[in-house]
Amino acid sequence: MGIQKDRVRFNVGGKIFDTSATTLANAGRNSLFGAMFDENWDLQSGHSTTEHFIDRNPDYFAVLLDLLRTGELYLPSNMSEKQLYREALFYGILDHVRSAKWGPFDGNRLRLARSVTGRAPGDGTAIRAGPDGGCCVAHGSMVHVYDWMLEVHPPINLDYQRVNDAGWIDPESIVISACERFGTGDGGMGLFSASTGERRYKFHVSHENQVKSYTAGALSFSPDYKLFSSCKGRSNEYGIGVWDQVTGKQIDFFYEPPGWSLGEADKLQWLHGNNCLLVATLFPRKDNCYIGLLDFRDKSMPWSWSDVGAPITDEKRVRDAIAMEESSSVCVVNEYEDLGFMDLRRAAGSVRWSSRSRLMKGKMPDEPCYPKLALHEGQLFSSMNDSISVFCGQDWVLTSRLRRTYGGSICDFSIGGDRLFALHSEENVFDIWETPSPPII
Amino acid sequence: MNSSNQKKRNFQIEAFKHKVVVDPKYADKTWKILEHAITEIYNHNASGLSFEELYRNAYNMVLHKFGEKLYSGLVGTMTLHLQEMAKTIEAAQGNLFLEELNRKWNDHNKALQMIRDILMYMDRTFIPSNRKTPVHELGLNLWRDNVIHSSKIQTRLLDTLLELIQKERTGEIINRGLMRNIIKMLMDLGSSVYQEDFEKHFLEVSADFYRAESQDFIECCDCGDYLKKAERRLNEEIERVSLYLDSKSETKITNVVEKEMIASHMLRLVHMDNSGLVNMLIDDKYEDLGRMYNLFRRVPNGLPTIRDVMTSHLRETGKQLVTDAEKLKDPVEFVQCLLNEKDKYDKIINLAFSNDKTFQNALNSSFEYFINLNPRSPEFISLFVDEKLRKGLKGVSEEDVETILDKVMMLFRYLQEKDVFEKYYKQHLAKRLLSGKTVSDDAERSLIVKLKTECGYQFTSKLEGMFTDMKTSQDTMQGFYAAYAAELGDSPTLVVQVLTTGSWPTQPSITCNLPAEMSALCEKFRSYYLGTHTGRRLSWQTNMGTADLKAIFGKGQKHELNVSTYQMCVLMLFNSADRLSYKEIEQATEIPSSDLRRCLQSLACVKGKNVLRKEPMSKDIGEEDAFFVNDKFASKFYKVKIGTVVAQKESEPEKQETRQRVEEDRKPQIEAAIVRIMKSRRVLDHNNIIAEVTKQLQSRFLANPGEIKKRIESLIERDFLERDSSDRRLYRYLA
Repeated sequence: MGIQKDRVRFNVGGKIFDTSATTLANAGRNSLFGAMFDENWDLQSGHSTTEHFIDRNPDYFAVLLDLLRTGELYLPSNMSEKQLYREALFYGILDHVRSAKWGPFDGNRLRLARSVTGRAPGDGTAIRAGPDGGCCVAHGSMVHVYDWMLEVHPPINLDYQRVNDAGWIDPESIVISACERFGTGDGGMGLFSASTGERRYKFHVSHENQVKSYTAGALSFSPDYKLFSSCKGRSNEYGIGVWDQVTGKQIDFFYEPPGWSLGEADKLQWLHGNNCLLVATLFPRKDNCYIGLLDFRDKSMPWSWSDVGAPITDEKRVRDAIAMEESSSVCVVNEYEDLGFMDLRRAAGSVRWSSRSRLMKGKMPDEPCYPKLALHEGQLFSSMNDSISVFCGQDWVLTSRLRRTYGGSICDFSIGGDRLFALHSEENVFDIWETPSPPII
Repeated sequence: MNSSNQKKRNFQIEAFKHKVVVDPKYADKTWKILEHAITEIYNHNASGLSFEELYRNAYNMVLHKFGEKLYSGLVGTMTLHLQEMAKTIEAAQGNLFLEELNRKWNDHNKALQMIRDILMYMDRTFIPSNRKTPVHELGLNLWRDNVIHSSKIQTRLLDTLLELIQKERTGEIINRGLMRNIIKMLMDLGSSVYQEDFEKHFLEVSADFYRAESQDFIECCDCGDYLKKAERRLNEEIERVSLYLDSKSETKITNVVEKEMIASHMLRLVHMDNSGLVNMLIDDKYEDLGRMYNLFRRVPNGLPTIRDVMTSHLRETGKQLVTDAEKLKDPVEFVQCLLNEKDKYDKIINLAFSNDKTFQNALNSSFEYFINLNPRSPEFISLFVDEKLRKGLKGVSEEDVETILDKVMMLFRYLQEKDVFEKYYKQHLAKRLLSGKTVSDDAERSLIVKLKTECGYQFTSKLEGMFTDMKTSQDTMQGFYAAYAAELGDSPTLVVQVLTTGSWPTQPSITCNLPAEMSALCEKFRSYYLGTHTGRRLSWQTNMGTADLKAIFGKGQKHELNVSTYQMCVLMLFNSADRLSYKEIEQATEIPSSDLRRCLQSLACVKGKNVLRKEPMSKDIGEEDAFFVNDKFASKFYKVKIGTVVAQKESEPEKQETRQRVEEDRKPQIEAAIVRIMKSRRVLDHNNIIAEVTKQLQSRFLANPGEIKKRIESLIERDFLERDSSDRRLYRYLA
């Protein structure tokens, strides 16, 4: 930065601040401070005692200067968060504020940061964490987008059709999948701007070079820019479609084999190590559960499991499934939050139910929500009624439980951007759980 | 909060905002300040500007929804400045053009950075949400459109760059640093600018250049020189890319050089008179060959071209070698030539062709082709081994022995008729063992192990049996002398080698009449042997034995004569007679006449070894000839070895006989193969049987389809197989 003397004096809105060039260097080149002290501008020529006047609010400058000094954010309770963000945006250090606001994700150290009440009517369908700490919430036919500051952006919708799933491609783009409207070619899947809610393009399904209307269900994304969705067309074009995230073009389609269910799948999960897609179709969408791994290269199903023909009791019925590549297994959960496991390396046998996790027996609330599973860096999360359980270790020991009394059962949750978002079913409320920054010592 | 309420409030906020911006000229005024600053920056006059003020003004414009005005103002102002710059660059004379362009490019970059600093807030907020081009990229695009693509600059720039490269190719020194900066600028403007405005034309011009140059070279250079020049050009282009072009251009420009300098002239280079590939191979020009390999591998079909020429040359010279009447006279020399040829090419492939597997395969297939052109190759290779194991290996270290044996094995691998080799090898081994001529037991056994790993247990079991017989015979003789020591007294010493029938090459054995003292001894041995081994039969192979005789000649000269059993029988007759006619000898000994003639020839007609005298003194033995002891026999050695006149190589009838025996031996092997195949396949058509049998047997010999057919017919006669009743080409296995 070419500063001769380390000491720098600012006059911010009439208040004098003395700081050092090294502190300011923490702001990075792409900030006001970085530009200001670039040799191009040559602000130090000779008169090093000169103070630099900045016409901004000094109180917030003090908070931000402290952030640059310590890397930590402390906002006195009488000051506005929103105003802090605005000031940070002016100086070009909003990213610093975000990364100081909460720490790296750890399921056992989460604290409730905030609850946000939405205004969409209808039951919550899905909540999806964005890569930078924002989230999107689907209610009925609307998807509301919140940035990491939890400011709400213009809502998005796909022809006002009922939304089935949503997902983030990058901090700026959201894909939503929706039901088709009979005969009009509406619905399907589209890519939207997270900040403006504008639709960039729709994802089409073609069979024999004819574009078909379809209902798009569960979504999954692969790191090599592929997008997967379960598809239900009207003329039996059931299966899993594959698109290029960048171009929006359809690149593949896996047709549903007879006696199996793919087109109405509840859950897709791309397994990058195996180069396979996990597809799970579960009760109550179908009478039976079907879980399989699809290999698109040779259109095969190298692993599959189904409870067709097995005696069905509620205890044996799988309500959600998640593949865990590290241990080459699939974890499933029943409606009592019992966990079960299957080995991906062996041809599907029976589910090995874990009795350790029998926690909920007999305590069913009035309006139950079916359990959902999520996996994050070796920690397994399971939502049940109004709480989320965290399981760790090789044997998946229950280590933490996140619960709030307000809002009723949790109908969906999602982890991303170092935050956990939980959507409640009775009230339109979602909670944000964060890991606090590490202790001072 | 219900929706009507919300609407109301939104409306109020908008109304309120409009009131705030009181000064309608606010935006214009602010923009004027910023525009002025941009001009000052371009004029290198920025020191008077306040960064904070400019930043704040730009911030306010965006905040107050004048982002669009700010952005379009920026585009307009920057365009004006760039057009000014373009004019200055155009005006630069001659060589100064590139320097001026480079200077202005640096100015623009610096200005662009400062402008971006001022407009940072717009870059961060307004631009992404309105999907506009970010400031930095915008600055590059405007430079491209207003400077690089201006009509007076675009072609001049391209021409200048290409001219400089042409100068450098013809040996002039150019300013590479400037070159690198300008090319870097084109790359910064985007890969399409670099490709369209420079690379495309560069490749075309280069292709023209190298097309013409290679034409000149090929007219006046020999192959080696041409390849050197091509290699140098290729390296120059690679260096050029590393010095001042985009690294992605490397494959493109090398492709051009490869196509124009190598691919287009490939055949002409390879077949160039007096200096082409064949000459390089003959003269072992490793360096040139290596260069050719490395250059040709870069072009499609390059290596196959070299390989094909090498193969046909190798086949041609090999064919000459194996059919050269001179070479055929000396089997050892013949095999040595093959080995030398192999060594020569192994070295070429190792040193020049980077041990390329496909070249090794070509070499092997060529050898296989021409070695089998000569039906006597198996015999000669066995003779070569025989020679080496008889005496050639004396004083040679163990490792060198191994090397020689390995080389022989390599030639053996090329043989199609491995069974013929086996036949000869057995004969030669038998002779070596029986005459006690083998130099090294270790070497013998080592070769047998090699044959075993190559061809399996079956191939060598009989050979190993021969070694066992030798060992057992030693023990037997010890036993014999221990048992009869007293009885034998001072009678001659008998050494018997008991050979198992079947393990040894069979010879039709006509036993001759042995001298009385010998035959008595033999009878004693027979009764001893049959006494210890019941159920065996002994027959004497007098044609294969040797004897040491003590002889005293007329003037008292004493000698020890090393002779064959036949020769011994003849000489012993002269203990009781001075003169014997051919007829008398024949009657007394009953040696087969052809053997007897050879035996007498070696005793009477070889100078220096003529212990007998013959009348008349001619070279050939006649029925009427008479023989005497040569009293005047003299030799400076006490021990005299009387050889038998034998052709080392087989004579024509012997050859025929060996051949016939080989053919006989093949029959059961072919039949066994047919039965094995049919047993597992049950039903098979004729062509497939032929193919499978040939495949199964090819490790031993190349089965003749006609012979296979005969064997099939024989098997049908013997009810192993039958023809299918509906399809005559199908055979059925009968269990």
